Amino acid sequence: MAGLNAASASLPSPGSSDQFAAIAQLRWRIFVNSLRTIRGRMEVVSWFFVGLMFAAMGIGGTFGLAVASWFLTSHHNPEWLALVLWGVMLYWQLFPVMATAFTESFDSTNFLRFPIRYRSYFLIRMAYGSLDPTTLIGTLWLVGIAVGVGTADPGLLPWALLLLATFGALNILLARAIFAWIERWLARRKTREILGVVFLLLIVSFQFIGPVIGRYNAHHGPHTRAVAPGVALNLVAAEEFTPPGTVGAALGAASRGNHGVAFGLWALECAYAAVFLWLLDLRLRAQYRGENLSEAAARAPAAALDKAAVREGFALPGFSAPVAAVFEKEFHYLSRSGPMLFNLVMPLVILFIFLLGPSNPARRAHEAGFVTFAFPLGIAYSLLILSNLTFNSFGTEGAGVQFYFAAPVRFRQIMLAKNLMHGLLMAFEFCLLWVMVGLVRRPPSIGLTLATLAGALFAALVNFTVGDWMSLYSPKKFDYAVFGRQRASGTTALAVLGTQLAIIGLCAIVFAVAVHTGRMWLATAILLVFAAVAFGAYLILLDRIDAVAIARREAMIAELCRTQ
Amino acid sequence: MDAPAISTEHLSRRFGDLVAVDDVNLRVAAGQFFGFLGPNGAGKSTTIKMLTGLLAPSSGRMEILGLDFEKNAVEVKRQIGVVPEGMALFGRLTGAEYLNFVGRMYGLGRDTSAKRSAELLEFMQLVDQPKALIADYSHGMQKKLAMAAAVIHGPKILFLDEPFEGVDAVASNTLKSMLHGMIARGATIFLTSHVLEIVERLCSHVGIIYRGRLVAQGSLEELRAGVQAQAQRSDEAAAPAEKLTLEEIFLRIVGGSRATDQELSWLG
Repeated sequence: MAGLNAASASLPSPGSSDQFAAIAQLRWRIFVNSLRTIRGRMEVVSWFFVGLMFAAMGIGGTFGLAVASWFLTSHHNPEWLALVLWGVMLYWQLFPVMATAFTESFDSTNFLRFPIRYRSYFLIRMAYGSLDPTTLIGTLWLVGIAVGVGTADPGLLPWALLLLATFGALNILLARAIFAWIERWLARRKTREILGVVFLLLIVSFQFIGPVIGRYNAHHGPHTRAVAPGVALNLVAAEEFTPPGTVGAALGAASRGNHGVAFGLWALECAYAAVFLWLLDLRLRAQYRGENLSEAAARAPAAALDKAAVREGFALPGFSAPVAAVFEKEFHYLSRSGPMLFNLVMPLVILFIFLLGPSNPARRAHEAGFVTFAFPLGIAYSLLILSNLTFNSFGTEGAGVQFYFAAPVRFRQIMLAKNLMHGLLMAFEFCLLWVMVGLVRRPPSIGLTLATLAGALFAALVNFTVGDWMSLYSPKKFDYAVFGRQRASGTTALAVLGTQLAIIGLCAIVFAVAVHTGRMWLATAILLVFAAVAFGAYLILLDRIDAVAIARREAMIAELCRTQ
Repeated sequence: MDAPAISTEHLSRRFGDLVAVDDVNLRVAAGQFFGFLGPNGAGKSTTIKMLTGLLAPSSGRMEILGLDFEKNAVEVKRQIGVVPEGMALFGRLTGAEYLNFVGRMYGLGRDTSAKRSAELLEFMQLVDQPKALIADYSHGMQKKLAMAAAVIHGPKILFLDEPFEGVDAVASNTLKSMLHGMIARGATIFLTSHVLEIVERLCSHVGIIYRGRLVAQGSLEELRAGVQAQAQRSDEAAAPAEKLTLEEIFLRIVGGSRATDQELSWLG
């Protein structure tokens, strides 16, 4: 063959099974080699604990769903299994999106450089992309449902197995399609921003359902309420044609011996799976063909830069130029990050929804406690979310971290600037929370405000101290353009959880003592003492941070500069 | 006699059992354009990382501009500019923001930093996309930006790890012109490259590292003379000294001819 040398011409076509075996071996070696370092071993230990949590969730859920399915089937209501399946589907689809830390982290697109057929690539993406805890737990739950149905009505078991297997496949396909499409949208800044807003609106609209229903019930007369069941019935009828509803309806039809209808509904289920398969196929084919998601190709021509257009950087009175420079860099990074802005808005949205609450006066009385402590609770929630910034401070720097080691600056200046930025963000967030509580209900009392701010100061300083340490010891590269194929360090995840539990627990005890004794100032005083101790620890850490950073530089550069 | 710009004594670096850099004694005089060569895995990048503070040596000493690196790390870093292997860019900043940031990290005033940033962007022809993020730059544009960042504070020594890799002819010409200008003003440049023709054209002095050991060091003329003398001692045929290219010198020193002895018949 012209142009093809003898070596490649004589090569046998690579078999998919050989390629699968090679990839499995590769992943096994990557895992084994990761155990060579202390950090790698710590990661395994961390993931063991996380695994225990997932195992409890999987086994407990399986048992619960088996009992629920048995109950519904034995009471001749298999249609109601749709409700159970809705829960499974929402978990299957939403959990990986919300908690990408616990998803599959291997990037299979790297295999495209090899002579791999599209079918093999698709199967690799499906096989290795589906080994995440969510899929395993979802599958386990479906097994539980099948066992429940089969125990209650053994005659229904073949139908249950067929329908649930299809439902499982449909969920796997949909989850992979969602990830692939979200990644496509996140790859470009503009679509990333649009998606961020859509996601925010979606979350907000979900959260409004409860309060809106509450207000609807309270404000509308009997006539309007009489219309509601009709609307609900229409919704239930439509629900039968959704993927979970189809499974429930098919099981119901099969239990009544109406196998033709059951078959038709199963065919509809298959059609859904086919649509999701098509959507996934569209994305994977584009990847297989060598799609370039870089933004460079989509750039519009822009006006040339005028010399005067390079504006001077931020000036921070009282701080050195490097601190101001890093502070400004952090500001640009935060302001250009959809996920980070999302983190800032979420506490406000959640608190607003809780404050809106039902308008029923009787229920409002029960909520008095919540409203009183809405400000500290809102701050606790926002700290929980914002702490993600401080525990992996270098995650977004990538290869840029080398600059910090090559530049004539001390790491204490870099950490100080980062902490300053994060501290100001927190302060800004706290001000907004205070204003919101004041506007929606009533302003928190001065005593409570001071105690809460003292607690927030303590929490922020502890977060900075532990977070700075973890940022150096357990950094993890974070790329905005990759969705669902990167996860946080397990060690960091555990550290964040432990630190927040300790802080919130301590503050709760102090607040409980203050409320019990009727002296809120006591909480302020105790929390200020805690803050002073935390500040001392923070200063000690800052003094030692250069030595720690120098000692950790090789590991940090290796982790943050890695391309895979 | 002036202190050399760069000197190392018994510099070594081990990674477990592997000795990546072994007892290297390097001397680069001020004002030299020094090319640091070696086959893949010879220890070039490891050496440059140690000389710029990105990696700690296992043993030995390093002096930059007469200052002990370990004792004066910050002062040394102030005097040098670096383009490391991964370029050390911050992808979520624009080119102008990044240069401004780097300038201020090196202690330049806000106005000076902004002015030099604008000049460098113009010099490097990076002014067409003022709002583009660095992550969206092409590889060549990133390389030029990394180079601009390395010189914004006017370093006395510039360390460049593969500066011309992936750079087109136009950009390469721009970079060379800047480097020549720096040499003319008395700066020292320490460069690693696999492209021997570029090194031969740019560098006045060369060091060759092989399997972690510095096996040759000197001006190109000295290396040519050394290779020819060795060839005469072993009765090998060699071209006249003045006609020996750097590639021939390099291959003779690192034994590159061995590879041609083997034949991969299956390659067709």
